[in-house]
Amino acid sequence: MDDSNAKKFQKELNGGLVGLVLLAVLDQTDEDLYGYEIAKRLQRSNDGQSVFKEGTIYPVLRSLSALELLTSRIVPSYSGPPRRYYKITEQGRAVLAEWRAIWRDTRDFVDRFIETGAPS
Amino acid sequence: MNRAAPRSIDQYLIQLRQALAGEDAALIQDALYDAEEYLRAEVAAHPDKTEADVLEIIASTYGDPEEVAAAYRDTEVKVKAALKTPTKTPVSAGSQPRSAVRQFFDIFSDSRAYTSVFFMLLSLATGIVYFTVAVTGLSLSVGLAVLIIGMPFFLTFIGLTRIMSLAEGRLIEAMTGERMPRRPVHPGPTQGFWARIVGMLTDARTWTTLAYFLLMLPVGILYFVVAVVGLAFSGSLIFAPMAAIAHHFSWFGAQFWGTQDWTFQFGDFSPGWLGTIWATPLFVAIGVLSLTVFMHLARGIGRLHAHFAKSLLVAG
Repeated sequence: MDDSNAKKFQKELNGGLVGLVLLAVLDQTDEDLYGYEIAKRLQRSNDGQSVFKEGTIYPVLRSLSALELLTSRIVPSYSGPPRRYYKITEQGRAVLAEWRAIWRDTRDFVDRFIETGAPS
Repeated sequence: MNRAAPRSIDQYLIQLRQALAGEDAALIQDALYDAEEYLRAEVAAHPDKTEADVLEIIASTYGDPEEVAAAYRDTEVKVKAALKTPTKTPVSAGSQPRSAVRQFFDIFSDSRAYTSVFFMLLSLATGIVYFTVAVTGLSLSVGLAVLIIGMPFFLTFIGLTRIMSLAEGRLIEAMTGERMPRRPVHPGPTQGFWARIVGMLTDARTWTTLAYFLLMLPVGILYFVVAVVGLAFSGSLIFAPMAAIAHHFSWFGAQFWGTQDWTFQFGDFSPGWLGTIWATPLFVAIGVLSLTVFMHLARGIGRLHAHFAKSLLVAG
């Protein structure tokens, strides 16, 4: 089925990109954000359609935090369990700069083939 | 999808738990916690819709339980690989396996051995705190049960033990590397005050957590004693030559063994050579050996304790 092929491709692409996007979102803001808020920001910026399944950002947030690219603190909430707010660390910013450069190179490289056809 | 789409937060969490069946208990606890945070926030953000309506769009935003479970599995594998302590001496293909002696002394390059020793020393202090909190909380809960503040007190006490259990889990993961929950247990379906109390009373984990806190005092004392004896015994043997030299030259006014020059007393067993300074290298060798054995013991105790803590603190 075409649909499942597209899904699989999207999932494979997302593998490393979720981490990059999360670091970028947290880098752009001075506030600490919690999982749901980050998910909604991603959704809003894409006209209400989320490219990532939002359930996949939570484990990635946790893994970035375990790698000390993010710090977190817990704040009680009225609507459900206490929320964990994340903030990017200095190390996180350094890694983001590195990833950003890798992403640009990769994107330019891929674009060279699929946007204008194979270069001569 | 071979299952009916969840119509409520509780159904979603149950399906997610089923999709994660067989995974590490700590991972399941984290995943359920994250999902509940998102789902409750999403329901709260749409006061005009019913829970079932909100759940209908969840599969396209948050992801269905199967997808979410897969994401946790994948990420867990990656994080585990990234956090693994790199091995100092990578064994290249075709190289000789390390000798038994080498493996025996390699314990000194394993950071888990040091953190386990630290954990053993610390467990006396944490054991006293846990024991005191558990005994005070339990006896006050029983004593206050007839009064109006009895129930709120009990709820607060159980809440406190859950936070402490999470903190102990974090400590154990840092010290021994055993995966422990990074989020508290999700409080389950929203219920009334009484239903919640009954839920806490019938939840086996409430009681196993308290049992763990009570047991931590004797266990903590044991760990502390073993650690101090192990370190002091090995240390005193390793530093015997220095003590002997200090004694010989009477540095620091050292008079460790009465007025005689360097002698050890082993009761009736005191061969002459054992009393001379030339015997001290032997003491150093025994000291190093016993320290190495002790480090192995500490790492083993750390691992055993992590399993013990997991079985009592984390719901299976």
